[in-house]
Amino acid sequence: MIRPFVEAVRVFKSEPFRSADLVEKLGYATGYARNFLSQAVRQGLLIAESRKGKREKTFKANPNVVREIVLRGGKEKEEFLEALGLHSRYLGEYVALRGFRVVDHDLDLYRLGERVFSTREEQYEIVVTNVGTPKKIITVEI
Amino acid sequence: MDVGKWNFNDDEQPPYPTVEVVLSSADRKATISPKVDTGFNGLLAIGREAVRRLRVTPAGTVLVKTATAPSEAPLYLVNLSQPDLAVTYKTLAIGTERSLVGRLLLENRTWLLDCKKGRFCIIKHRVANREDLSPPAQ
Repeated sequence: MIRPFVEAVRVFKSEPFRSADLVEKLGYATGYARNFLSQAVRQGLLIAESRKGKREKTFKANPNVVREIVLRGGKEKEEFLEALGLHSRYLGEYVALRGFRVVDHDLDLYRLGERVFSTREEQYEIVVTNVGTPKKIITVEI
Repeated sequence: MDVGKWNFNDDEQPPYPTVEVVLSSADRKATISPKVDTGFNGLLAIGREAVRRLRVTPAGTVLVKTATAPSEAPLYLVNLSQPDLAVTYKTLAIGTERSLVGRLLLENRTWLLDCKKGRFCIIKHRVANREDLSPPAQ
């Protein structure tokens, strides 16, 4: 499930898309696209929206998923951040994300933490992580 | 010259230096004595027991370098204070097996590692009184 979701994020980012867009831009079969969309909505990965006067639904990636994927970590996290386009801009840095939005970034984890968490009230919505291997990596005994 | 001192922990041999710090989260407080780890280039790492006592949830994940291989560790947002060092930080702490303080807490300070008495001490230099600086009376 995560693979087609990451591909959808890579192409559409946080913008809305239709089932037909998946068929056209990702080359999915119509049945596969519909099946993926209904499962992804059930799992909370996508949000379905009905546009006024339109029969066809649109879908967009659920911003709450960003936090979940980052906290799960691992290869999925890196693939997801790459799909968001963060590797091309912030490779080797630490980023603070609120949903799909990068609220701040820095080469130094502590400097970033100090800026992001010192004043913001929405600190529990923010998640911090590395993009690729940090240039200023922390060395520690686990 | 004043010294602030903390006893070595002897739960492993040879005993290791510690520094007592006070950690707090939104609604919890805990005083812990993390191991002083000069191989750790960060500020603070908190062990599972401290995470449980503070009831903090991860604020992120981060790739860290360990002796064996790179590894991903959770990040926790905590308040750290140490009265003898006169520091209070709202900081990100790395989630590890046991609590550690790293070189960021040690830097720019004078320390005494007294392995004979099993104490780790911060040396605090007092500014001399004006009279101390006066030349001796002839």
